[in-house]
Amino acid sequence: MKSRNWRIDRRTFLRGAAGALVPLPFINLMEGSADNGIRNLAGDTQPPVRFMTLFKPNGVHPPSWNINGGMENDFRMSPLMKPFAKHKEDLIILDNMGDFGFSSHSNSTRRFLSGHHNNRKSASVDQIIADKISAGTTHRSLELTTEGLFTNQIDCSYISYDKKGGRIPRESDPQLVFDRLFRNPLRDPNQRRHISSLLDRVSNDAKALQRIAGAEDQATLDEYFTAVRETEKRLEKMAPVSGSKGVDFSSLVRPESGVNLNEQVEAMLDVIAMALWTDSTRCISYMLGNSNSRMIFDFLGIKKQHHYLSHFFRNFSRSNIDSLLKISLWHMEKFDYLLSKLKSYKDHHGRLLDHCVVLYGSGMGHSDNHTAQRIPIVLAGKGGGQLKTGRYLRYSQNQELSRLHLSLLRMFGVESDSFANSSSPLPGLGGGSFDEYRERPFTSWVKSEQGKMTVQGRLRMSDNLDEAKVFYMDIKDKPPVRIEIGFGDFHGFNVAYHVGTPITLSGNSSERNGQLVITRITEIKSVFGNSKPGKAGG
Amino acid sequence: MRKCLGIIVLDFILVVAATAFEKDIRPILENTCLKCHGGEKVKGKVDFSGILNLEQAEEQLDLWEKVVDVLETGDMPPEDERQLTTGETRTILDWCHKELAKPIEAQPGIFQPRRLSAPEYRNTLRSLFGFDLKVSIATAEQTLSGEQSLVLKLLPIDPPGVSGFVNDTHGTKLSPILMDQYLHLSDAALEKLFSIKGRKQLSFLMGVQKSEAWKPYDITLEEANTLISNFISRALRRPIKAKMATQVSKSLERKIGEELLKAIKFEMKAILMSPAFLYRGLLMEGKPGIQQSVDSFELAERLSYFLWEDRPDDELTELASSGEISKPGIIAEQVSRMLLSPNSRSLAESFAVQWLGLANIDDMFKNDPGDRGHGMRTQPRDFLHYLFTEERPVMELIDSRVTFVNQSTSGFYGKDRQRLARFHKPQGVERQRTMNQRLELREAEGRGGILTMPSILIMNRGPILRGTWMLRRILGVELGEPPADVPPIKPSPRGQKLSFRERFAVHRENASCSRCHNKIDPLGFALDGYDNNGRYLLGEAQKKNLKTPIDTSGQLPGGETFEDFEELKAVFMTSQRENIVRNIVEQTLTYALCRELKRFDQSTVNTITKNLCRDNGTWKSLFTQIANSLPFRETFIQNAKHEESKLED
Repeated sequence: MKSRNWRIDRRTFLRGAAGALVPLPFINLMEGSADNGIRNLAGDTQPPVRFMTLFKPNGVHPPSWNINGGMENDFRMSPLMKPFAKHKEDLIILDNMGDFGFSSHSNSTRRFLSGHHNNRKSASVDQIIADKISAGTTHRSLELTTEGLFTNQIDCSYISYDKKGGRIPRESDPQLVFDRLFRNPLRDPNQRRHISSLLDRVSNDAKALQRIAGAEDQATLDEYFTAVRETEKRLEKMAPVSGSKGVDFSSLVRPESGVNLNEQVEAMLDVIAMALWTDSTRCISYMLGNSNSRMIFDFLGIKKQHHYLSHFFRNFSRSNIDSLLKISLWHMEKFDYLLSKLKSYKDHHGRLLDHCVVLYGSGMGHSDNHTAQRIPIVLAGKGGGQLKTGRYLRYSQNQELSRLHLSLLRMFGVESDSFANSSSPLPGLGGGSFDEYRERPFTSWVKSEQGKMTVQGRLRMSDNLDEAKVFYMDIKDKPPVRIEIGFGDFHGFNVAYHVGTPITLSGNSSERNGQLVITRITEIKSVFGNSKPGKAGG
Repeated sequence: MRKCLGIIVLDFILVVAATAFEKDIRPILENTCLKCHGGEKVKGKVDFSGILNLEQAEEQLDLWEKVVDVLETGDMPPEDERQLTTGETRTILDWCHKELAKPIEAQPGIFQPRRLSAPEYRNTLRSLFGFDLKVSIATAEQTLSGEQSLVLKLLPIDPPGVSGFVNDTHGTKLSPILMDQYLHLSDAALEKLFSIKGRKQLSFLMGVQKSEAWKPYDITLEEANTLISNFISRALRRPIKAKMATQVSKSLERKIGEELLKAIKFEMKAILMSPAFLYRGLLMEGKPGIQQSVDSFELAERLSYFLWEDRPDDELTELASSGEISKPGIIAEQVSRMLLSPNSRSLAESFAVQWLGLANIDDMFKNDPGDRGHGMRTQPRDFLHYLFTEERPVMELIDSRVTFVNQSTSGFYGKDRQRLARFHKPQGVERQRTMNQRLELREAEGRGGILTMPSILIMNRGPILRGTWMLRRILGVELGEPPADVPPIKPSPRGQKLSFRERFAVHRENASCSRCHNKIDPLGFALDGYDNNGRYLLGEAQKKNLKTPIDTSGQLPGGETFEDFEELKAVFMTSQRENIVRNIVEQTLTYALCRELKRFDQSTVNTITKNLCRDNGTWKSLFTQIANSLPFRETFIQNAKHEESKLED
């Protein structure tokens, strides 16, 4: 507070005394006071911080998504992250986010913004934030999607929930959203003038009809004139609301209707960027698809349904994996498209993205057995300086999404002690220490006798796309042990849950061309974490 | 409205028995009925206060029909009010019957412009612009995408008019909300027309082929004039008047580039917002005060909105220009042609859906966007479309050996399903909606015709709903509302275990219940061989599993008895045939005229009914006869002078 006062004094002084000689940082500060900033008690302004979420359906193919190894400030983006790798400096990639056990499609969708699937009686995090930050905007929030309702499991179609945990209807048409935001006569005086002159004209034309019309025609025309007059009256009554930022809305280009999903989504992302830039709303949630979506991505040349492909372990073939990755890459490209758009708009003295928090991700990790762990989650934007981006944060234990949500709430000024299951926020987002979450050291070894083997080390999935069902355990100074099991063991021991973490695994083994192979699992123990991640719930 | 109607009725009703009304009827009304109907209050919208002489009495023949009904059933006067003597009752009834029996010559309805209904507006816009305005939404299997037409999504739902059909928009006002949506939709359509996506249609309307690279602001004044006059004549469904053409070209004069483009869009939008576009009939030419043929453009429009729910196409417009369209033979040819067009699907989707209440099936399956829900929704529609367009006799509605099934609904059809083309689900597709196939019924038991279609049986659960539906929708019997003091169906008396059917027999012992239930119950219980999921329980294989036998026998109020539904169906096909055909004719004519039928339409109904019964006539023949009927081809334009008499109301 103190320093702000000083800055204001200084600015006033500079404006009066120094004129054109004002050094750059101060010019920026003055720019900030020009338009839509939030004025604090001292009369200073800051650009509002916006919250945007983008949901990716049907989990991921973990070997292609996960970052293996890597440090907070020194990491390589995974193959699936390639499309948005150029935004690395504006991202925080979170790893080991999730929950125990498996997750149904509908539970995972609910988890994305509600923290836990049992958190069914409260608002999702975006809605709580909207309540806090929407004052002064014409639209409290926008809830958007790409497809219709999946009625079998209705929650698969919703990420935003109201105060009572009720589903908030979504809109899918970019043109309708655009018109609601920018072609409303209430907001646009040009639009109002246009309608007025049109109504004048049609009334005049209709009067010419009246002279020749019979009694019934006259009754009809009376009805018509009444409607015209009422519309005119309503137009007159509309008090003009000045467009924020002084942007002339008629200069904004209405998106064309898309011929395929790609065009539809890009049009919507365009509208989203315009909505945030003009400060028409500060909170938007957008689903790239329903979880469990059986959409066919024909514009990518794919004929199989997304949900079928996402079960890549059971429905394994190399071409299925290729198709699945094509779809996932498309999801990543749309994230890139959004970020590029948000960077292209100037907002105050920076880029729009600097005053945004963008949450991108899913509600489940492994898309075949629905593991609720290592859920893909990326934060983008500097959140008005509250996020320290350009980092990869891997927590040693999985962190419930509700911890992240609690952090977001605090970031937007919501005083809340807890959210869903969590009462402590996720550390490290603002650049503070998260040392305690760094993994402790562990030893790796392998013991084998008479076809039985016990091995300790970090479990990983094969990097080879032809080996979707194969896992490896890395042993220090020794070749990795190969794990080649059926769906029964894969699912029964929730192997995907342990991927990326150190475990002790016992099972039946054999040796093939000098390679140790485990073919059946008898036991898995987590070195640090929960050995029995459970099967249901999560 | 009634008043206006009375004025023409007067023209030819002979002034007889005037003394009888004023001397004999009016005093009885004053003593007995007026207290509740026009004196202290007006109950049930029945008002005798303004009926002082025969002229006024004859303006309200429908009212006297109602009077006959309540007197014959004893519903009026109420028990706690002054009763009529037997003599008084007789006097009124005799007088009413005499009045109602007076032959009424067929005459056309009064000309009434009416607003396009929401689906008509959607279709008209579509055929005018050459593209559909759609809501952007990705579609996926098992997903409910909601309304995908932007027009239907934005326009408020039109409630059914007095006629029971939504194309009877006379009762629903043009609200400012509707204005807003029309403005929005006009913008959306024009924007698309001038974008690359509308280039094909724009080229067509301009009469010059324009490439995608061409920029609309490069339009020349000459092209602009062609575009606008083409657009206007198509939008207004008739040639543009010279005066209007001059006015429009004046507003474009000396403009170029963006300014010209803006003026063009303004003119086009003004047309889309004008009453002449939004309403049907405002531009018809005719003389007030006389009965006359509608002009040929109006006739073309009537025909196309009847069969297509859409504006007339080029062929109809040409026939209207040359006047050929008024020849009955040409109409017959056009009906044949139009039924073959995909646009005739609207007969099934709008007319039949509204007539038979098929939207209830959508409600039953609203959470099932999958194959079963799809099969249930489409089966009756596909069946009706087949009847309408493939020259099937009207009575095949009741009895037919053809149906339409998909993978989910084929299970109802026993061995017959084996003759369906095999369905192969492509690899990688977990769920898929399958299309209906036409299936000839040979061995399926208890099927054939609309009455035993699974979705109809599911939509109407239980004997009462099924009986009521058959009476109202198929036989055309209006039951009216149940009396206010209707007692609940009594539970079985202590110590006795009565079946549902037996309990209804007890219910029918009450006279005010039996009035309707004598008609409803036998029809409904005849369908007890089908459960609430539409399954047939009385087939050879299924019968063995029954714990108790099912009684499907019954007796119609007319005395005819039947053992099971097949026998009832036979009754429908024979002794009830004329009633069913008459109902079909009435429903279709009502939809075609977009208004409630009046007494003066009865002779048209009679003629067509007689023809169809005699020839085992087809739906196509029905449509043709309607299109050539007097009420469809003629009209009466109300004299504007009568405005004063309207004010008196």
